[in-house]
Amino acid sequence: MLSNHSSTIAALEGATKAYGAHRVLEGFDFALEAGTVTALLGPNGAGKSTVAGLLTGRLRADAGTVNLFGRDPSDQLARARMGIMLQAGGLPETLTVAEAVDLHAGYFARRLPTAAVLEQAGLTALASRRCDQLSGGEARKVQFAMAIAGSPDLLVLDEPTTGFDPESRRAMWDVVRAKADAGTAVLLATHHMDEAEALADRIVVIAGGRIIADDAPAAIKAQVAATVIRLRTRLPADRFRALPGVAKVETVGADLSVLTTAPRASLEAAFAIDPALQHFEVTGASLEDALANLVQSNRTTALKEAA
Amino acid sequence: MMTTALIAPAPAVYARESWAEIVKSARMPQFIIPTIALPPAFYALFALAMGQGSAEGATRALATFGVFAVMGPALFGFGANIAAERESGQLELKRLSPMPAGAQIAAKLAATTAFSMVAFVLLYTLGIAGGVALTPAQWVMLAGVHTLAIIPFALIGLGIGYRLGQKGAIAIANIVFLAMAVLGGLWMPIAVLPEAMQTIAWALPSYHLGEMALMAAGQREAANLWLHAGPLTLITIAAAVFARTGERAQAR
Repeated sequence: MLSNHSSTIAALEGATKAYGAHRVLEGFDFALEAGTVTALLGPNGAGKSTVAGLLTGRLRADAGTVNLFGRDPSDQLARARMGIMLQAGGLPETLTVAEAVDLHAGYFARRLPTAAVLEQAGLTALASRRCDQLSGGEARKVQFAMAIAGSPDLLVLDEPTTGFDPESRRAMWDVVRAKADAGTAVLLATHHMDEAEALADRIVVIAGGRIIADDAPAAIKAQVAATVIRLRTRLPADRFRALPGVAKVETVGADLSVLTTAPRASLEAAFAIDPALQHFEVTGASLEDALANLVQSNRTTALKEAA
Repeated sequence: MMTTALIAPAPAVYARESWAEIVKSARMPQFIIPTIALPPAFYALFALAMGQGSAEGATRALATFGVFAVMGPALFGFGANIAAERESGQLELKRLSPMPAGAQIAAKLAATTAFSMVAFVLLYTLGIAGGVALTPAQWVMLAGVHTLAIIPFALIGLGIGYRLGQKGAIAIANIVFLAMAVLGGLWMPIAVLPEAMQTIAWALPSYHLGEMALMAAGQREAANLWLHAGPLTLITIAAAVFARTGERAQAR
């Protein structure tokens, strides 16, 4: 399914985008498939929002081609099949939630009834509330409602659950998952690893304008195959950074959290420098750890290549 | 077949967008009441109460205050509103939606026209009460010139709104608003101004529209129409370029 190119609905080919002298993307290839939730992850400034901006037509590529449903993203026919939730999305302050959603839905011929959209977004109780009287999370829900109102074939969500309580978050994930299962392609730009892990079929990690990983969440974790060792020591954290296999050392309360790709060698070396080590806990790395390690090693490789 | 099934009919979108724009402004009484009420209030104060009841004075003032009445809704409705919607990301979301490109501007024009009409009715009623007596043809021409005034001011407001943030747009719109009114001779004839300032009036749409409104009301020689219609056309074209280039700068 992931590599079935007949279901490609949007693609960048050789896309280049620069802001002044700063090249964010160069010769970038990327494609989205129907029925798949693709999460874009990466550090700030890595090019995530540039990729999303090019695909949605918010930004114009300096070179290369951008294809959205076989058309230019500025084409009204392409836009009619896309629903977008921008990161900074204001609302018409004096309109009610229902009026704002209904107005936006009216741009799409395949619109859903407003009541159904409000229900899916968890806004039924707020339908007649004015948009300037919403909390941050509630306003986000209205923007989500606008994004799904036109029954889009591509749903673009930029940091969708900012300001949400855990329950609302899970509720939105369920709706997004259901849309994807019904065939909608979803592009999710997020900083929340748990969101990507819970929702994505495919995670694409961007760093320095390049894709450094593109796989299923489980495969991304396995690709790094890192382990976290928590231990208590009286030695400074720096001593552990130099140990074999260690990618990252963090202080967590009274403990050190050591991310390693060679747990056995790291542990043996740790005992060698501090025989009085206590409180071990060895666990598989979280997706967040795995990504941090991936971005870090990519940076190291890039530096070596440059040198 | 797919194409017709994807895009909502444009006239319906234009109508809904226009209605939403009117509702949005109507729910901001702190914005809309001063904008609509200020020109009739000024007219009642300056032309009627202080004008010693001369029907000719009331007619002249009605002609120029009708142009003044358009400037508030046009400059602030377009300038400050567009700037606020741009800053908050609302314009961007609409731009990325399948909404027809012209619907947003058309809706704002419709709202400006609607609110200007309310001001016209108030002004004309006050005028009639103050002794203004025009023939039906003169009323139609006067209302025509006043309605025409929406276009250049809306374009100027648009150009400001696309370039500045909300606060900057309000500040500049205020300056433009006052300068157009005073230097364009809408509150009092430019003859009372120093000569150097009188020449500025020729560059202002408010001056030419005021003179054209005076002609419509039979207060000026209509043979000089081209003297004002010509410059007004040039100024309107310049304002359109000002608005268009501001809008172009949005697409990155």
